[in-house]
Amino acid sequence: MSNSLNVTSPPAQPAPAAPSSASLPIRQRTSSFSGTTLGEERFFLVLAVFIGVFAGLAVVCFRLAIEWTSIALLGATPEPHTLRVLFAPAAVGLLIAILVIHVFPQVRGSGVNQTKAALYIFNGYIPFRTAIGKFITAALAIGSGHSLGPEDPSLQIGASLAWALGQRMNFSREKVRLLAPVGAAAGLAAAFNAPISAVLFVIEEVIGRWSAGILGSVVLSAISSVVVVRWFLGAQPLFRIPPLTVVRPTELLAYAVLGIVGGVAAVIFAKSIGYFRPRLRALPNWTLYFQPAVAGLVIGLMGYLGAPQIMGAGYQYMDQAMHDQFAWKMLAILAGLKILATTLSFVTGTPGGMFAPTLFVGAMLGGAVGGLERHFYPHLTGATGIYALVGMGVLFAGFLRAPMTSVFMVLEVSGDYSIIVPVILANAFAYVISRSLQPTPIFDLLTRQDGLELPSLEEQREESILRVEDAMKPPPDPVLDSGDTVLAANQQIEYSPANVFLVRWHPAGWTSVTRETLKRFASEGKTEMTLGSLLPPQRLPYLHPDYPLEMALRYVYQTPLVPVLSRADLLKLEGVISSEDVMAKYRVAQTT
Amino acid sequence: MDRVGFAQIMNRPAAVIASLTVLAVIGFAGVTRLVNRFGEQQKALARHLYEQGLAEQRAGKPEMALEHFRAALTYSRDNFQYQLSLARALRDTGRTSESETYLVNLWERSPQDGAVNLALGRLAAREKLLDKTIQYYHNAIYGVWPSNSDENRLNAWFELVEFLLRQNARPQAQAELITLSAELPHRPDLQLRAADLFVRAQDYPHALLEYQHVLQIDHGNPQALAGAGEAAFDLARYRTAARYLEAAVTANTQDTQSAQMLQISRLILDEDPFGRGIATSERNRRIRSIFEDAGKRLDACPNSSAAASSGATPTAVPPLKARWMEMKTKLARLGLRGESGLADEVMDLVLQIEQQTANCGMTPQDQALLLLAQNRAGVEQ
Repeated sequence: MSNSLNVTSPPAQPAPAAPSSASLPIRQRTSSFSGTTLGEERFFLVLAVFIGVFAGLAVVCFRLAIEWTSIALLGATPEPHTLRVLFAPAAVGLLIAILVIHVFPQVRGSGVNQTKAALYIFNGYIPFRTAIGKFITAALAIGSGHSLGPEDPSLQIGASLAWALGQRMNFSREKVRLLAPVGAAAGLAAAFNAPISAVLFVIEEVIGRWSAGILGSVVLSAISSVVVVRWFLGAQPLFRIPPLTVVRPTELLAYAVLGIVGGVAAVIFAKSIGYFRPRLRALPNWTLYFQPAVAGLVIGLMGYLGAPQIMGAGYQYMDQAMHDQFAWKMLAILAGLKILATTLSFVTGTPGGMFAPTLFVGAMLGGAVGGLERHFYPHLTGATGIYALVGMGVLFAGFLRAPMTSVFMVLEVSGDYSIIVPVILANAFAYVISRSLQPTPIFDLLTRQDGLELPSLEEQREESILRVEDAMKPPPDPVLDSGDTVLAANQQIEYSPANVFLVRWHPAGWTSVTRETLKRFASEGKTEMTLGSLLPPQRLPYLHPDYPLEMALRYVYQTPLVPVLSRADLLKLEGVISSEDVMAKYRVAQTT
Repeated sequence: MDRVGFAQIMNRPAAVIASLTVLAVIGFAGVTRLVNRFGEQQKALARHLYEQGLAEQRAGKPEMALEHFRAALTYSRDNFQYQLSLARALRDTGRTSESETYLVNLWERSPQDGAVNLALGRLAAREKLLDKTIQYYHNAIYGVWPSNSDENRLNAWFELVEFLLRQNARPQAQAELITLSAELPHRPDLQLRAADLFVRAQDYPHALLEYQHVLQIDHGNPQALAGAGEAAFDLARYRTAARYLEAAVTANTQDTQSAQMLQISRLILDEDPFGRGIATSERNRRIRSIFEDAGKRLDACPNSSAAASSGATPTAVPPLKARWMEMKTKLARLGLRGESGLADEVMDLVLQIEQQTANCGMTPQDQALLLLAQNRAGVEQ
């Protein structure tokens, strides 16, 4: 099939191999469900539920694999000053490098960008082999202590499974493309046990645009995967949330400080990855065999010397940070070491996600800031645990630049809406600071380093939208009426330079007439007849001033003049727009 | 099946749904097996870590125990016992906030569980939250205990009373104790514990009654005898007190406190001028004797004779010695008709002298005088 996909292979993700069974190229496909009672739309929803179920099952196995690997390699409780903590990440790093180079070349990185690339470049196609490779290598990496998380790989595994399930169903191209985000949402929801955040993250980061059409299937798959995971692993949230106290207004200052610190930390984190990743990739090929091992050795050394908390996903330590288990200095050290460890793991191409490390850094940083503030201003700040919780959202907003997800994630994890104000405030500070100091979001930076150009919701948000009102001209003079006689109409247009005139049609509607037509009617002796009785019944399409300018393009080539009408009164003319007006506006916008 | 046939089947939604359902069922079965097997391994590992934690707790290494309880819970998150042990260890190491989180989670899962409520009650008691403590202890007392329920309930109840007494919430403590004593089985150790608590709550009538219940079962119990004697003594029932204290001292010759109280009780009984059936002459003799003793006390402790009474200014009230001298002249009239109030005046002065000279040390004689002066109408006849 890929022979007919006509895609360009990017450097980071080679062109996918052709699936042997598909009989038609996707771009030529039309839905085969039109004649059935179920219909493609409804069948896709049913399939979304199955995608969720299978993604849930896969994520359960993935989590078990990580835990089993961790126990086998690091022991039941990783303790400092043990040789296995020192050497396990390095040894596994070597194995992973061999697997990635020789067996699963597409599993490098977190999985979010790869899924997004699949959606926009490969029509949603992610080889099933990628899911298997990601499963094995990410489980080995995280289980051996590399500072990465299971969420992003779960997202990619879910997307790959979705493709595997849906590719033979003869869906239309539009639906086939949707398989990847549907599976991605299921995988992420199952990994994080938080369906709302997963749906929002997939919309913000994978799809990159708001689309009502996909929402139903994404939500269904996310919910069904979470149900499966809870069925097997229990319904407990990832963290035990400390008792939350209502935040006093004065305390918001402290959360604002947390937002600022988190924003700066997020920039340091993103810039480190952005700086080192291309440089390490530019090293000779033979170094690729040793890069994950060297990263593993450094991480193992950190664990050996007294910080085993930074190894692996580290959820239990986030939980402890939320319950005042560490002094603020220790929390700050752990946050710094985790940034270093995650940067090393990620830039060396070790497969694994950045979701959990981001939360880890956020929790530690939040706890540190809360602890420090409480140390100096004991009357100002509440429990440190709440700062750790808010800190997670802060880093999420600042580093991953998913502001909506960051707020909902904290709310979903805590189950308490009383902290919504500090969360929004701190996240907003972090987001603004991060955007100012690091204009390109981390995922966009990574895709550009891979030579890809994918849509970004953040960039879309920043784009100024041109509207019809920006290009339209004032109503022309005169505006004729369908009740006017040909004689009266000719008298009205006598001194007008225009050749085309709008005619208000009663009781509703608009049409147009040319000067030549009116003269012809007069020469034919129809001077006393009304325009309404002479003009054909077709009505002109019309626009409203707030419509995007793109919409005008659909109509301006059908008629020389498109009326722009008031939404309150369809007979009230706000202006007119022509193809020249639209083009002129675009030219001006491009030059400015 | 060739590719065309397969494609035809996949074009039928019903066939696809049926196939996916079968696949899902197979997947569920496989993952269930895997999860169960993994779960068993994890449970064994968790059990091992938990036992290590318990051993460390017993060895007095709470921090190490804590780490092992935590690790045990990593592998068996739902385990009630592990969570409870971790919560208790956290509480014992001062991490009350985290302990509370665990306990509240457990409480939400099983709000009627006695052990959880007791742990929450202890946590609230540690934070001196009176209402919360009472609420959780009551939940524990009336909650469900998997084993030794009566023993656990009574222990929780006693703990609650002790907490209330520590918080000086005597009326609540008394109320709890009265209800508790009604529920107590006929066991001397428990009744003795309740009686001691009644004494601490200064509810001497109930304390005496409880000690008497113990003595009905265990006649020669020295602790009960001493307690009954002390309770009777505090109730100013000196004759009863003397009887119990005598038996207590006989049963335990080392009991100096009972011996001292016995001595005071006997002195009171011997010197009480208001005793029933005493001849007037004897009554007057006892008053004079008490008065003389008070005078000697005043001479022996001159620093205290400057003020007449606490809170009174020296200029408003004559010094005690002057008043004593003045009273001595009046004392000649003791027993005469029309001087019925003189005995009370003498006893008032004696009381003031004993109070003012308290800082010179109190002999049993002085204590007896003080108690006589204080309880002149209440001394058991």
